[in-house]
Amino acid sequence: MPNLFRIALCLLPLALAACGGGSDSTTTSTSAPATTPAPTATTASAPLSLAAQVGDKLFFDATLSGSGKMSCATCHDPNYAYAAPNNLAVQLGGTDMLQPGTRAVPSLRYKEFTPPYADLLDNPDGVSVPGPGGGFTWDGRSPTLADQTSIPLLSANEMANASPADVVAKVKAASYAPLFLQAYGSDAFTDTTKAFGYIQAALQAYQMEDQSFHPFSSKFDLYVANKIGGNMTAAELRGLSVFTDANTGNCASCHYQGAGLNGSSALFTDFSYENISVPRNMDIPANQNASYNDMGVCGPLRTDHLPTSLGAPNAFCGLFKAPTLRNVALRGAFFHNGVIHTLYQLVHFYNTRDTNPEIWYPTVGGTPRTTPDANFPTYGLITTQYTGGTVQKFNDLPAAYLGNIDPQMPLDSRAAGSTPPMTEAQMSDLICFLNTLTDGYQPPANPPTHGTCVD
Amino acid sequence: MANLQYVGFTTTLTTIAAACMLAGCGGSDSGTSTSAPGAQVKISGVVNSTAYTPGSTANPTLAAGYIKGATVCVDSNNDGICEASENPVTTDANGKFTLTVSAVGPIIADISSSATNTASGAAVTAHEILRASLAQVTEQQAAGLVVVSPMSSEVQRMVEDNNTSYQTEKANLASRVGVTAAQVLGDLTTLTGTAQTLAVTEANALNNRYVYATKKFDNKELYPDALAVPGGDPELASLAVSSATNTVTTDTRQPITFLQAQQAAFNVEGIPRYDSVFIVMLENKGTTTILGSQYAPKINGYLQAGNQFTSYYATGNPSEPNYTALGGADDWGITDDSQWNCDATGANAVQDLPVPDNTQPGLANSPFTTTCTQASGINHNIVGRANLFTALSSKGLRWRTYSESMNPGQDFRTDGIADSAVTATDHVYAPGTLAGNTTAIGNAALTLPMPAGLYKTKHHPGMAYQNVRSAPEWKFSNRTLGGGQWDAVLTSGTKYAVPAGYNVDQFGSDLQSGDVGQINFLMPDQCDDMHSIGVTGTVSGGGTGTASDCSGNNIIVRGDNYVDYLVKKIQASPLWANKQKRIAIVLMFDEGTATTGHNSCCGWVPGSSGAAASTSTNPLSKGTNGQYAQDTSIHNYNFGNHGHGESIFVVLTNQASAPTKVSDSDAYSHFSFVRTLQDMFQLADPTDDSTYMNRSKYTEKFIAQNILNLPEYQSSADTHFDSVRPMNHAYVIPATYRELQSSDVTTAAQVGPDATQKGVWAVK
Repeated sequence: MPNLFRIALCLLPLALAACGGGSDSTTTSTSAPATTPAPTATTASAPLSLAAQVGDKLFFDATLSGSGKMSCATCHDPNYAYAAPNNLAVQLGGTDMLQPGTRAVPSLRYKEFTPPYADLLDNPDGVSVPGPGGGFTWDGRSPTLADQTSIPLLSANEMANASPADVVAKVKAASYAPLFLQAYGSDAFTDTTKAFGYIQAALQAYQMEDQSFHPFSSKFDLYVANKIGGNMTAAELRGLSVFTDANTGNCASCHYQGAGLNGSSALFTDFSYENISVPRNMDIPANQNASYNDMGVCGPLRTDHLPTSLGAPNAFCGLFKAPTLRNVALRGAFFHNGVIHTLYQLVHFYNTRDTNPEIWYPTVGGTPRTTPDANFPTYGLITTQYTGGTVQKFNDLPAAYLGNIDPQMPLDSRAAGSTPPMTEAQMSDLICFLNTLTDGYQPPANPPTHGTCVD
Repeated sequence: MANLQYVGFTTTLTTIAAACMLAGCGGSDSGTSTSAPGAQVKISGVVNSTAYTPGSTANPTLAAGYIKGATVCVDSNNDGICEASENPVTTDANGKFTLTVSAVGPIIADISSSATNTASGAAVTAHEILRASLAQVTEQQAAGLVVVSPMSSEVQRMVEDNNTSYQTEKANLASRVGVTAAQVLGDLTTLTGTAQTLAVTEANALNNRYVYATKKFDNKELYPDALAVPGGDPELASLAVSSATNTVTTDTRQPITFLQAQQAAFNVEGIPRYDSVFIVMLENKGTTTILGSQYAPKINGYLQAGNQFTSYYATGNPSEPNYTALGGADDWGITDDSQWNCDATGANAVQDLPVPDNTQPGLANSPFTTTCTQASGINHNIVGRANLFTALSSKGLRWRTYSESMNPGQDFRTDGIADSAVTATDHVYAPGTLAGNTTAIGNAALTLPMPAGLYKTKHHPGMAYQNVRSAPEWKFSNRTLGGGQWDAVLTSGTKYAVPAGYNVDQFGSDLQSGDVGQINFLMPDQCDDMHSIGVTGTVSGGGTGTASDCSGNNIIVRGDNYVDYLVKKIQASPLWANKQKRIAIVLMFDEGTATTGHNSCCGWVPGSSGAAASTSTNPLSKGTNGQYAQDTSIHNYNFGNHGHGESIFVVLTNQASAPTKVSDSDAYSHFSFVRTLQDMFQLADPTDDSTYMNRSKYTEKFIAQNILNLPEYQSSADTHFDSVRPMNHAYVIPATYRELQSSDVTTAAQVGPDATQKGVWAVK
């Protein structure tokens, strides 16, 4: 497509290169008349603040762990949208690097608009009634990115530092300690509590400021911004329709992609919490203990919404955050417990949790069949067909809290054996659309004219 | 025809064309009358002036006077220029002139900067050519006083525009102004009372136009204005814009003639002059929610009967950025509904001190928070920025905002508050009055105390602008709007001292008197505007209840009924009945609800939003060196979410000959509308981008010319969609172009041009 608003495209990288590196890049080599207002750098990322520069060093420093082998980036790998670089449900950490976590690693991208948790957060869509929303981690127990850092830094099964003082001591000994002092003052290490606070603030600053935490560089971004290369294919547009259509995918209901709070847009989350009761993942060692139930907002990791006793009424039990779906295609483990490992399986879970619960939840008391029926789905977690027996639907949620399960489409609790909300073709299109949410998209020079995600 | 230079002008072939055109269309009114050879006639008269003095706390202060030092002649060749051969004379200190000519002819008065306006006592600042037609001169010469004024120019312009007669248009102009035919072309200074007020008000407005017409003529501007050229802007051919959306490759425009300039000044960028426009603001409904909805039958009736824009985009989310954009074509980085003093520090510090908090006399119940600091640090007090309100006032024109359900005695700068002493009965909808209800909806036994927040400052398009809140006419121009559920008992309010003679419906009074603004924003309360707030009360006999129609789909019915009430009220007014005044009603929403697709257009690029934006997208302003550069003084500007989908936009006019059922599907935004209003009231000059306020200057040409400083527009796949244009329907959508849509529209995307290119605002 020739002759568009693209004159500057090849000029700007040059301008960037010309002024890169220095902290003063508020002007470019383009004409800067000596009058106000002066032109500013056009496409150059703003230079990181000193705090963020410290955060950059901290983020990748493996010495900030009990094992000496684990940095923030170990689990939040920048090559995987700051999520796990593998498909493990939970990662190993601790001083011996053998201690399993209890939840899947969330992506750290697009967190800058997340408000602190509130039981009645205004929904960004401006339509839905206020409800539990906001905050960091799968249960929202941390109000800010800065506060959140103490969880991995100090958890015995993650970075496993002994104490805040332990972390401070390591930073004090680090090569970038002078930068830290430059950022926070020559006496920044004097008060350990304050120093740990600075470390947290630096990590937050890095995540807030660095472009890589919010690149908005997916094909979808090109599409909504009306840019060259942003033409969605027919399949992707159909997938978008499935994504938003309240009668089929209805994904957008929670993975909201519209205009949101504080000037945000297209974050693919409304920060809300829902209970969809995904299958218990026995790959998580903690789940070997039958009395252990991870119930999100109502605990046990979060402690301010605990039920008065197990089974006592509590609307917060089983609620987990609706994460952003940006870069969802890069994930190897889905949901808070990582029980699902592919997008294909994920979409089918949403579609058939209720119509075919036997392929998602274990059956007890039945007789396994050696050869399943020809039409028995093979995409489920359970590929063995049973004769008789009882499906343990919602096997990771105490029965007392089944009433908390979200009734929205596509998980509308329709009867087993009934027709699912989406067709295979719709799910295929939906996956094509979800693939457009991956950052770093480069439009191909010669776009394919046919294919699953084209036609 | 003399080919001479005179007062700085060169006669050219263009003037020949002008003369020929005049002779061709003016019929018996043009040319000079025949008289006996050798006989001399004397023509005596005056040249009237008007002057505007800023600072009025009510309507603009306007005065009538004369022009001393105007050059007057019989323009025998009708070229708009007093050539030496036409023996011009100069008006005296009382604006008087006497011409001695061989034959009575049309007169022009050339008013240059060497002339003095006795109404102000000051030198004339802008060149203006006024004229009086042959028919007028003939009529008035007999009585001994020919009055050259903007009124006389206007009558002849109308004759030429409508191909009618002097007597017809004199009567029409008199009707428009509200004075007698004798008064309308008489000496303005001799009028008194209401007649003079009415006449001077119109003469001031017309003077603005004829000064502008003269500028166009003097500058030999190409005609028509670039963005009014049928097909598309011809200036884009050599610029880097999308070839798919720009098919006009040559600019065939010619320098404007005198007579073309006379008309063009009343049709800036193809937007006709209106006397008044009433903009009814509704809340938060995308196109699909209203179009064809059983809950909005009346609005749908107006949609079908009137004209509409079908691709109209909001510019933000939530309300405050949208209203602020409607007031001045930018939201300044505001992304919430917070109070206007939030984070207003330094150069943005609030100047309308003291703020209307509860320490002020009479405001003990004010909900205003004296200080406001938010985490995001976004300034909410917009200082020193152009906006529609101050732009109108600076030209001696008027604005009004009419807001419903304010607490009597409250300060306009504070939100409405609850008052349990003011109660109303729940609305009850009889069967068949609410989307085909078969049983009554509502509870006649439910009594609803007036809730807080019926009136909200976030819904005032001028509130964010310091110079609007500080304007001397602020209190005068903010008025009440009737029709509310609590109107009947508002004056029994207990929260503030109710002013004596409090009028809960100044709008109704103004419609009767005709004393309205050029731009009138009508803000229904948060139930009547479809927004929704919690309204609860007690049921007689026990229990509590919620208002039947301030939430859910029922509020759409309520808003629909309220819109119908307003439209019918306007259409029943003497103002609307006066067809010589051009009156328009706009029914629009501040924002849609779209979550997917293209949520914004025309001045915004949605992809630039977010803390993530690697680019600085601050708006451009013109520096003292004449160069555009990014205005970096606006904190957090990158964060805006830039649009919230599409809503319906209805235009109704009182013009009997105006086309109806026109649908314009070109993409427009609040910025486009602000540009359109600037054109409608001639508040800007299309030949100078910097005269268009804020983002309303972001035309396709402007963006292309400034692309180096507008990184958010680079690599655009559709430069037409990205840019602002007046809502004039001049652009013709190419045959193969498929329109872009937000998810607020569920009809199939249109391919190719509209059924007609008639303008939605066209008057004939």
